[in-house]
Amino acid sequence: MTEEISTVATPQNPNSIEFDYKDVETLLRFVNSQGRIYSAQRTGLNARNQRKMKRAVKYARFLALMPHTV
Amino acid sequence: MNDNDYIYQAMFMLDNGEVRDQGFNAVRDWVKATLEKHGAEVKVLRHWRESQLAYPIQGNTRSTYLLGYLQASQQTVSKAKAEMYLLGPVIRMLVLKEEEIPAAELALGIADVADTDVAVPDEEPEFDPFADEPEADEFDGGAAPEAKPEVKAEAKTAAKAEGEGGKAAEKPAAAATESTKSDS
Repeated sequence: MTEEISTVATPQNPNSIEFDYKDVETLLRFVNSQGRIYSAQRTGLNARNQRKMKRAVKYARFLALMPHTV
Repeated sequence: MNDNDYIYQAMFMLDNGEVRDQGFNAVRDWVKATLEKHGAEVKVLRHWRESQLAYPIQGNTRSTYLLGYLQASQQTVSKAKAEMYLLGPVIRMLVLKEEEIPAAELALGIADVADTDVAVPDEEPEFDPFADEPEADEFDGGAAPEAKPEVKAEAKTAAKAEGEGGKAAEKPAAAATESTKSDS
């Protein structure tokens, strides 16, 4: 019997990454020098984590922790 | 806790001018009172940081951030948000739903902060997007940069043209000598 692989992102799931909008230093690794968010192909994140990262970057931009453009 | 209540994380961007004039604790108390007036239960409200903004907002180039955790309904949050944007020192606020309050944050609670700990500059500095970046090292007079490939190509074509020009200049001279020979 094969074990079913969980596709739900949980803390136990090693594929799940949590992005915090307050952690600007980490988020700056996912944008280029002009402030544009890198594509999933470039970041290597899966779709769920790419969305989480995108949301965190946008929250950080709203609070002026990160620039929209440089 | 009602069924309609959720835990929220809230980040408030405060006007540094108001923080300077009234003091951080007074501004924090106003935010807390406004939230509680609309029925929110404020669990944590603390100074997060004071920093330069990535872009100027309403003429502000620096801001003090206030981080809070509260338990409230969606209606409460929207009402409090509407009031804060109309009145008071809050420039912007971000409210996000959370599963639970982190234990480390809960331990901090709503503690008074000495005004000396909240360093707000006396004057609003002009906006400088590179203020926090370290200064670049001065040019140490190292080796001159290599010429660009385009420049090299141009130099090659110029040399070629010169070479052809030289040959062309030689040719008439040779022709002239031949003609003199034939005359004789």
